Amino acid sequence: MTKKIAFWIFLIGTLSSAAVFLWATYDTQRQVVTLSHADKLSDQVVAGKRAFEKYNCNDCHTILGFGGYYAPDLTKVVQRVGEDGIRYRLKSPELAFANSFRKMPNQHVTDQEITDLIAFFSWVGEINNNDWPPQDSKKRMSRGAQLMVATVGVSPGAAVFQTKGCMNCHSLRGTGGTFGPALDKIGATLSAEEIGKYVRNPKSVNPDAKMPSQKDNLSERELDEVARFLATLK
Amino acid sequence: MEYRSQKIAYWYFAAALPLFVLQVVMGLWLAANYTFTIPQSIVNVFPFATARAFHTNLLVLWMLLGFMGGTYYIIPEETKSEIYSTGLAWFQLIALLVTGVTALVGFLFGWTQGRPLLEIPMALDFVVVIGALVFLFNVGMTIFKARNWTAIQGTLLGGLVFLALLYLFGIPFYRNLVIDWYYWWWVIHLWVEGAWELVTASIFAFVLMKITGVEREVVEKWLYVEIGLFLFTGLAGTGHHYYWIGAPRYWLWIGGVFSALEPLPILLMVIDTMHHVKERKAKIVNPLTWTYAIGCAVMHLIGAGVWGFLHTLPQINYYTHGSQVTVSHGHLAFFGAYALLNLMTFYYAMPKIKGIAAYDDRLGKIGFWTMCSAMMIMGLTFGVAGVLQSYIERVLGMGYMVAQGYMRLWMGVTMAAGVFFLGGLLTTVVDLFTLRPAKAQA
Repeated sequence: MTKKIAFWIFLIGTLSSAAVFLWATYDTQRQVVTLSHADKLSDQVVAGKRAFEKYNCNDCHTILGFGGYYAPDLTKVVQRVGEDGIRYRLKSPELAFANSFRKMPNQHVTDQEITDLIAFFSWVGEINNNDWPPQDSKKRMSRGAQLMVATVGVSPGAAVFQTKGCMNCHSLRGTGGTFGPALDKIGATLSAEEIGKYVRNPKSVNPDAKMPSQKDNLSERELDEVARFLATLK
Repeated sequence: MEYRSQKIAYWYFAAALPLFVLQVVMGLWLAANYTFTIPQSIVNVFPFATARAFHTNLLVLWMLLGFMGGTYYIIPEETKSEIYSTGLAWFQLIALLVTGVTALVGFLFGWTQGRPLLEIPMALDFVVVIGALVFLFNVGMTIFKARNWTAIQGTLLGGLVFLALLYLFGIPFYRNLVIDWYYWWWVIHLWVEGAWELVTASIFAFVLMKITGVEREVVEKWLYVEIGLFLFTGLAGTGHHYYWIGAPRYWLWIGGVFSALEPLPILLMVIDTMHHVKERKAKIVNPLTWTYAIGCAVMHLIGAGVWGFLHTLPQINYYTHGSQVTVSHGHLAFFGAYALLNLMTFYYAMPKIKGIAAYDDRLGKIGFWTMCSAMMIMGLTFGVAGVLQSYIERVLGMGYMVAQGYMRLWMGVTMAAGVFFLGGLLTTVVDLFTLRPAKAQA
């Protein structure tokens, strides 16, 4: 091989890849309008993005999987912890994370900024991003749950409890989150019907409840199964 | 050292080394944040986010200083002429340092653009751009006036221009988060898997040519093929960052296919290093510089090639995306490809600038092996933590903090390895600043 051939390899390699890349960039710009629901990109969403950058949230949290890995991904944060959950964590992180071995700084975010941030996160949560992250996927996790039921022999409700984010806040036998109460003995105080009612609309039972409604997060069948499972814990 | 103006490189290297030390100290603090519970009162004033901004910006700053110093060392020998203006080179060094330090102090007071790795506020971005233009002007004029065109110069200049152009995409505010990330990667990915690879490949080719004595014709032939493959796989390979951001689905194909080929140019680099070493025409004067060259090629292949390959397939990346697996890859790749490349350049150029033909390398050897082993261990422990995270959080669907609980031990081990790394680095820095001629072999 001569140096001249080597040079042509360089030139053709670079140009062909650049051509693919630039064409795809052009097409992506076009398609992102639909994929990200750019029509719903209001000024409030943009204000939320500015607040997100002002407090450097992204150097601890990831969003769409990019950023710091020190704190949970925020792509589906509205679906996961609800608007009240976001407000509580931003307002009083010292209380929200009192039992956690990892803390969040209190940055004295204003009420207006919190409202903007929630608008921003709500918009992000709807981006059509090939069903990521997996633990929030409606398709994949139910398959995973089915697999658990079939192979490990756990009840459908237990599978829902493990795979649908309940353990972000609640724990069983010491495993799980510390936001909500541990549920090891929940069946001793509440029946399946009461639990079912509570998870569908926590505020209807306890107006001060911090837990978001799970109606959008889980299907009716999943809600019934998880209530039935929790009622057996005595 | 053949030209007087090459001496400016020394001050770039001397500025880079303490920043590297500070970067690693910050890294240890980050690891401590993962391992221990930091009290709320400290978190409120100096959160993880600020420390991370320090860690990553220091990395970019010291490596760019290293590249620029390397360029100022190489360009006179390649063009057979003095640098166009050493005054501009001094101005630009000071401008970059002042901007960097201002940015870091600003982070402490919350002055930030708030985008990971691109935290530097827009006002300072413009100073960076001016500095970069001065640098490119200085290097460009040197090359232009000398008219001794070589492929090494061309690649180096091309890489530096590409690097500066891409930086512009990181400056504006993007309303749409998807578009924001799309162009964020033009800076981050196209830097490390495009522009920086060009700079690295040309510096590497230069040093290799000098220490092995292999003909320029052969070295530059390999260089063309390598950078051709780097850009062929690297440009469209940017797609492996576009799987889950809300970009069209075909990126899974583009990203998957082109990234799968990304280890090839690095493999070629290892092969041609081995080839040059075998066919060498020159005597080995400084064994440690050789060790660095080979270590750089090998660690580059492991960190960037193998570790990158392991999780760029969409089917795997779906679970590992945004986890400590990325951190493992990031550390091994940056260390292997860019930290070792810079240190190799320092070990090649600094003795020459000081007029030492053969240097005493006993301390330097300890530094090299300590750093490489410590970083390898860190790569593995970050990796274990990342696999645990992917499995517990993404596959089992348990909470984020549940996974972090299981990972804590591994982050602790990482921190211990980090202490060793710092030890190795301090040894290396002390060695580089106190280079002495080797005693004549008995």
